[in-house]
Amino acid sequence: MGMTKKYWKGLEELKETPAFIKSKDQEFPNQQAIEEFLGDDSLNESSTTRRDFLKFLGFSVAAATIASCEAPVTKAVPYVVKPENVTPGMPTWYASTYYDGCSYTSIKVKTREGRPIFISGNKDFGFTNGGVNPQIIASVLGLYDSERLAEPTIDGVSKSWSSVDSAVSSAIKSAKKVVLLSNTIISPSLTRAISEMELSMNAQSPSKFEHIQYDAISYAAMREANLKNWGAAIIPSYDFSKAKTIVSIDADFLATWLLPTEFAGQYGQTRNPDNKWMSKHFHFESVMSVSGSNADGRGMIKPSEQASVLAYLIKGMGGSTSVSSNLNPGAELIAARALKALKFSKKESLVVCGANNVGLQLLTNKLNYILRAYGTTIDANNPIQLYKSEDEKVQKFVSNVIAGKGPDVLLVLGANPVYSLPNGVEFGKALKNIKTRVSFASHMDETASLCNYTCSDHHALEAWNDYIAKSSEYAIAQPTIRPLHNTASALESILVWSGKATRGGKDSAVAYDYIKNTFQGLFPLGDFAFTTHNSCAALSVMPAALTFQDAAISSLPQAGDLEVVFYQKTAIGTGLNAGNPWLQEMPDPMTKVTWDNYITMNPLDMEKGGFVTTYDQEHGLNLATVTVNGTSLTLPVYPLPGQTLNTVGVALGYGRGGNGEKIGKAAYQTKEYGGYDLSENGNSKPIGANAFPCVSFENGTYQYYGSGKLSKVDGTYIIAATQIHHTVMGRHSIVRETTLDIFSNKDKEAYNPSFTLQRLNKEGHHEDAPLAEFDLWDAHPVEKIGHRWGMTIDLSSCIGCGSCLIACQSENNVPVVGKDEVRRGREMHWLRIDRYFASDEEATVGLRKDKETFSYDKAELAAENPKVVHMPMMCHHCNHAPCETVCPVLATTHSNEGLNQMTYNRCIGTRYCANNCPYKVRRFNWFNYPSYKKFTEVNPAQDDLGRMVLNPDVTVRSRGVMEKCSFCVQRIQSTKLVAKKELRPIIDGEFATACSDSCPTNAIIVGDWNDVNSKIYSSSNEKRSYQALEEVGIKPNMWYKVKVRNEENALLDDLQVVKKKAHHGEKKAHH
Amino acid sequence: MKISNIQQLNRFKQLIFLVLTVAISTFSNEFFAQGEGLFKAKCAVCHQPHKNGTGPKLFEARKRWEAAGEGALIIEWVKNNAKLRASGKSARANEIFNEYKGSVMTAFTDLKDEEVISILDWVDAQPDPATAAPPTTGGAVTPGMDPEEESALSWIWIILGVMFVVIIMAVGGVRRQLNIATSDQLDVQEKLTYGEEFRAWAWKNRLYVGISTLVIVISLVVGVLQGLSRINVVENYQPSQPIAFPHSVHAGLNGIDCKYCHNSVTKSKSAGIPTVNVCMNCHKQISGEGKPYASEVQKIYAAAGWDPKNGPTGAYNNNTKPIVWNKVHVLPDHVYFNHSQHVVVGGVDCKQCHGDMTQMQEAVKVQPVSELNKIEGNIKLSKPTLTMGWCIECHGAKDVPLGNGKNAYYDEIHRRLKDNDKTLYRKYLKDGKVSVSELGGWECAKCHY
Repeated sequence: MGMTKKYWKGLEELKETPAFIKSKDQEFPNQQAIEEFLGDDSLNESSTTRRDFLKFLGFSVAAATIASCEAPVTKAVPYVVKPENVTPGMPTWYASTYYDGCSYTSIKVKTREGRPIFISGNKDFGFTNGGVNPQIIASVLGLYDSERLAEPTIDGVSKSWSSVDSAVSSAIKSAKKVVLLSNTIISPSLTRAISEMELSMNAQSPSKFEHIQYDAISYAAMREANLKNWGAAIIPSYDFSKAKTIVSIDADFLATWLLPTEFAGQYGQTRNPDNKWMSKHFHFESVMSVSGSNADGRGMIKPSEQASVLAYLIKGMGGSTSVSSNLNPGAELIAARALKALKFSKKESLVVCGANNVGLQLLTNKLNYILRAYGTTIDANNPIQLYKSEDEKVQKFVSNVIAGKGPDVLLVLGANPVYSLPNGVEFGKALKNIKTRVSFASHMDETASLCNYTCSDHHALEAWNDYIAKSSEYAIAQPTIRPLHNTASALESILVWSGKATRGGKDSAVAYDYIKNTFQGLFPLGDFAFTTHNSCAALSVMPAALTFQDAAISSLPQAGDLEVVFYQKTAIGTGLNAGNPWLQEMPDPMTKVTWDNYITMNPLDMEKGGFVTTYDQEHGLNLATVTVNGTSLTLPVYPLPGQTLNTVGVALGYGRGGNGEKIGKAAYQTKEYGGYDLSENGNSKPIGANAFPCVSFENGTYQYYGSGKLSKVDGTYIIAATQIHHTVMGRHSIVRETTLDIFSNKDKEAYNPSFTLQRLNKEGHHEDAPLAEFDLWDAHPVEKIGHRWGMTIDLSSCIGCGSCLIACQSENNVPVVGKDEVRRGREMHWLRIDRYFASDEEATVGLRKDKETFSYDKAELAAENPKVVHMPMMCHHCNHAPCETVCPVLATTHSNEGLNQMTYNRCIGTRYCANNCPYKVRRFNWFNYPSYKKFTEVNPAQDDLGRMVLNPDVTVRSRGVMEKCSFCVQRIQSTKLVAKKELRPIIDGEFATACSDSCPTNAIIVGDWNDVNSKIYSSSNEKRSYQALEEVGIKPNMWYKVKVRNEENALLDDLQVVKKKAHHGEKKAHH
Repeated sequence: MKISNIQQLNRFKQLIFLVLTVAISTFSNEFFAQGEGLFKAKCAVCHQPHKNGTGPKLFEARKRWEAAGEGALIIEWVKNNAKLRASGKSARANEIFNEYKGSVMTAFTDLKDEEVISILDWVDAQPDPATAAPPTTGGAVTPGMDPEEESALSWIWIILGVMFVVIIMAVGGVRRQLNIATSDQLDVQEKLTYGEEFRAWAWKNRLYVGISTLVIVISLVVGVLQGLSRINVVENYQPSQPIAFPHSVHAGLNGIDCKYCHNSVTKSKSAGIPTVNVCMNCHKQISGEGKPYASEVQKIYAAAGWDPKNGPTGAYNNNTKPIVWNKVHVLPDHVYFNHSQHVVVGGVDCKQCHGDMTQMQEAVKVQPVSELNKIEGNIKLSKPTLTMGWCIECHGAKDVPLGNGKNAYYDEIHRRLKDNDKTLYRKYLKDGKVSVSELGGWECAKCHY
C-alpha cells in the first residue's frame, strides 16, 4: 500500500500511552465507575427499602400502563386569517443578509409556520456565493435565547418605550456632548440616520455629537497602512481564486480574518487538482490555525519574526528594505519555497498579513506592490467596508472617560467595550460618571448592565436592514419573523431620538420606510421588492487613480522570551455568541476541545516545563498563569503540535459574563449533575478567562501579541475534547494523500491503490483479485435500480471549518450535552470532523521507522511538521452494513435507496450496532436530553423558546435509543415528493444534505448515484476517489477523494510507486 | 407495388380513423369529468345545480341566458362578470347582480371557454334530486347483525359454557361415586381427595394434559399480546368540537369539494383545518338567522371578529379569536405522514382513509376499517384504522402506475428497473402490479425519521 505517513489524532495515540491502548478498542471510552456511583453519599442516606422499591416499581408499571391506554386530547388551532405565504407544514425560504459586526454573508432563511429554523448560504445571489461559517448558521438559535432582553429597561427595571424615549430624548437635548460608540456600521440607512442626527445636533453647538466606530478585533493598521501607501484609508478586496501563490502571515483567512465567508469559497476553487492549476499556499504563524493547517508549506514563526518573513520575500523579489530578514532555519526553508513560488506566479500572487500593526501592513503592501498583485488579486477600487475601527480615537475617548472627562450621553451600539477593551474594567468603573448611558445590546451584557437605559435592538432575523459590505454590492436583510419581544430596531430608536420619526410599536414600519427611502436614493429606478427577493443588487464602483507611495517602516513587534498570541477561535470569535450552546460545544477545528479556553503550547516546550502532555476524561491538564502587560490569566495548558517554540496562544472571546450579567444560559460552567458552578463572588463561573485585558495599545493600534511570562500553577483541570474519542483502531487506509506532482504524473495505483486480496486460481497459484470478489453477502439491490444516494468528500478542498457540523446539528435536532458528557465521550454530533496530524517520521503503514528511539524532536522540529488532514466523518450508509446484522430488533435496516435507516421507536438500546460500526459514527442517547435536569442549562430544547428552533420534520430522540446520520432523509423524501408532484425526474443538485448545503468550499457532493449524468456519479469514479476502510468489505455509499498537496515531497515520491505484480517465481521462492 | 401502396394507405386511413374515434370518445369523457371537477373546485362553494344559494342555481343557466337573448355572453360573465357589467352590453348581467343584492362573483379569468362549457354541460346533465326518487334515509343499511344482537349472542355463549362445565362436573361426580360404590378396595379409594385424584388422572393422561396445557398457555400469551397491541388503537375516536360542524351539509348537501376548505392537502403534509377566513367566504351571506344552527354560525362570527348586524356588508372589528378544535386523527410524533404525497402523487381519494364525509352528520370520528371497507372503490383492508398495520397493508395492496408516460418521475424509475434488472421487475409484476411496498413503501425511513 502506498501509505506513507503516520496519522495521529492526539498525542496519546502518537505516544501510545497505556490509557490510549486500553481505550482504543472500546466504543464507549469509559463507563461510569462503580465507585463513583456508589460513592455518592446521598445514596447512603436514602431510606428506601427493597419492599418500598418493589411497591414503587409495581405502582409505576401500573400507572404507566393505565396512562398509555388513553390518548390525551390534542388541540389544533388554525389561523383566523391565513397569511398568504404560509402553508402549514411547508417551509418558506427568505433571502436575507447576515451581519453581526464580524461575520457578513448573504443567506437564505428557512421558516416553518413563521419560525426561522435553518440558515444556509445564498448560492444564487451575493458576492459571498453561499459561503457561511458556524457562527452564522448557529445565529438562528440566538433568536430563541430566553435571556435576550425582552423590553426596554431603565436602571434594570422594565419600562415602556415611551418613557425610555422621553428620558433619552430629553437627555440628548440638554447634553453638552453626545457620543455614539458603535461597531463598524455598514448600513447606508443607519449611516444616514446617524449623520442626520449629527447634523441637527452640531447645529445646536459645534462638535456636540461624535460617532466613534469600535470593533473588538481591530483592522485599523490595514487602513492606516493603505492611507500611507495609497492615500486612502481603505481595505481593498482580495480575490483568492486568482492567486496561484498565497502567502499568509498569521492571517486566518479561512476562519476568522476579514471576510472568511468569501475567501473560503475562493480558496476552495483553487484547491482542486483536477483543474488547470492549483494554488500554492504558504502560511507563517505561531498558533496552528485553520488556514495554517491547510497550507502546503507552514512556517513556524514567532510574532516578532513576521517582519523578517516579509523582508525576506521583499528582498528576494528584488525590493529593498531595512528590516532584517533573519529567520529560524525551519521557517527560512518554507520562506525560500514561497519565494520560488512567488517568482513563478508573480502578479498572480497574494500576500496577506493578519497583524494589526502598521509596520507589518506596510511591508505587506510593499510586497504586493512589488509582485504587481494590485489589479489582479487585490482590487483597491472595490474596497471592503467592514472593520472601520478607529483605534486612536477609541483610545483617546476611553482615557477621557476614565479621567472623568466623558460626555453627558453615551450611546453604545453593537459594541461591548467593558468586555473587549484592554482597560475595559476601568472603563466600566468610570462609566457611572457619564450621566446618561444607553445600550442597544440584546443581552444584559458587561456594558449594558452598567448602562442606565437599555433599548434592545431586534435580532438580525427580526429586523429590516441594509448593508454595503463591499462597495460593489448593496444588500438587504429582511425580517423572517415578527419580533418575539418588545424590542425595537436601533435605526428606529435613533430616528425617534433625533425627532425624525415616532415609535411604530411591534409592527413598526419606520425602519422599513427609511431603508426603502435610502434604496430609492441609491437606485432611483430600482424595484425594492425585487431587490428584497434577491437580497442584493450591484452598485457601480468608480475606479480611482491611486499611486503607490513608499512609507517608512517603524513600530514592528518586539521579540521577547515568551511571545503570547491572542487569536480567535472559529466558533467563539470575539465572544459575541458566547451564550450559544451549539458554538460552545463545537469542537475547535484544531484542538477538538469543547466548552473551554486554554493556553496552547508546543508539546516539546511542555515537556521541558514539566507539564503533562496527555489527558483523558479523568486526568486533566496542568494549569499555568500567563502574565502579559500586567494582566494574569490562569488556564490549562494544552499541547498543540505545530505551535512555535517559546510562544503560547490564548483565545479571545472567553470569560464572558462573570459578574452576574445575563448573556445566555450556556455561557457558564455547569456542575456534574446540572446547575451552575459558582465562583467566590457568588456569580456563575464563566467559561475560560477573558484575554482582552492582555491586548496592548501601541503605536496607534491595538496589538494582539505580547511578551509575557508563564508559570506553572498547582492543580489540574479536566478538558472535554473529542480528540481521542472514537478511535479507528489504527487502520491506516482511512486517510490518503499525495502531492500534485505525483497526482499529475503517476498512475492512480501509486497514490490511490485499489484493494486486492489473494486467492488460489485454477492452477493452484496465488493471484491478486479485486476486493469485490470476496463477498460473504448477496449484493443489496441498490445499484442502478431506483435511487442510490451517495456522497463524496474532497479532502483537498475540505478546510475543516466546522460549518457542516453546526448545519447538521441545526437540521437534525442534535442535542447539546454539555462539557461533562463530552468529557465522557458522549457527544451527540452526527457528523464529526476528524483532524489528523501527520508526520513524515513514518515510512510504511502503521510502522514507525524507529519505534524505540522515536521522539518529538523529530516529529516537531522538521520545518514542515506536522501536516494536518481534516476529514468529515459520518454514517457511510454501507450496503453491507455491519450494524444492521447485529441489531436484535431490526431497528436499523437497509433501504433500497442505499440508506442505512435508523428507526428510533424500534430501538431498545443494546448498542451492538455502535460496537460493530467501523467508523464509530453511531451515537447513543444516554439521557433524556430534552428534559433531564443535568442539561437544563446547556440544551436549548429544554427551554420553551429554545424548542422553537427544532426542525418539525425530524423526531426528537428520547433516552435509550441509538441515532446517527440519516443522510438528511427528510430532505431526500421532500425532494422526491416535489419531483413527483411536478411530474419530472429528480434534477441533479436538487437534493442537498445540510452539510453539503453549508460547505463553503463545496467539498461535499451528494446526489443520486444511479443517475449516470449526476455530479456524484462522475465524482465517485474519479481517480482520486476511494472508500475509507474499503478492505472491510462493507461497501459504503460514501467516497473520499485523496488529499493533494501542492508541495515537493521526496519521501512520498519514493514511497508512492506502482507496485509491481508479484511474480509467481518470486512468490515460490518465499514459500 | 402500386396496389400494395394503396392497401397500405387504406390501412393507414383506417388506423387514423380508429385512433381519432378513440381519442374523441376519451376526450369527451374526460371533458365531461373535467366539468365535474371544475364545478366542485370553483363553483360549488356558492352555486348548486338545482337550488339558489349564495349564487343562483346553475342548472340550465345557459337556457335562461339564451332566453334573455344573451346566450353568447354567459361565458364572458363566468370569466369576468365585473368587466361584463361595466361594458354595459348585457342587461342580464346587471339583472342578476341586482337580484343578489350586489354580492360580487369571483372572476375566473384563468378558465378557458371550453372549460366553462364543460362545467355547464355537466351541470345540465345532473338530475334534480327533488324530482328524482327520494334517497334512502337514516344512513346506509348495515348488513349483518346489529350491536345489541351481537352482545346478546356472547352472553348466550357464556351461559352455555357455564352449563357445559356444570354438566361435566356433575357427570364426573356421579361417575366417581359410582366408582367408589362399585370398588372392591374401599379403604384406599376413600382416602383420595379430589386433588389427589386429579393429579393421578393427569399423570395417567400426561400426554394429552401436557399438550393441551401448552396450547392454552400459548394462546393466552398470544391473546394478551394481541390485546396489548390494541392499546391506544383509536378507531371510532370522536372528540367533541367547539362548533357543531356538519360535514353532511357542507360536503354532502352543498357538494363543496373537500379541497376547498382543506386546501393545503395538495401542497403540504397537513391537510389543514380551514382558517376562519375560508368559512367567512360563504358565511358572510349565510348567517342562519332564525334557523336552529344560527348559534353555531355566531361562533364563526365571534372568531372572525365579524359584526353580522349589517348583513353581508358588515364589518370586521379586528377582535379575532382563533377556534380551538380537538384533533381527530392524531399520529404519534415519530410518524411522518404527508397528505400531498397520497392525494396528489398516489391519487388516493379522501374517503379511502376518512370515509364518506358526505354522510357524516355529527362531528368527525376516526372511521373503523369495517366502515371504510363498505365504500365503493376503496382498497379493502383489515387492520384497525390509523395503526401501522393498516398503512402497511395498503402500501402492499396499492399499485404504482409505472411507465405510463404520465409522470416522468415514475417513467425514470420504470426505465431503470426494466433496463437494469428484468428479473426483479418480473418478480414485482407476478401479481400484475408494482405495489408501493415493492418500490420501498415498507421501509422504515419512509415514515420514521
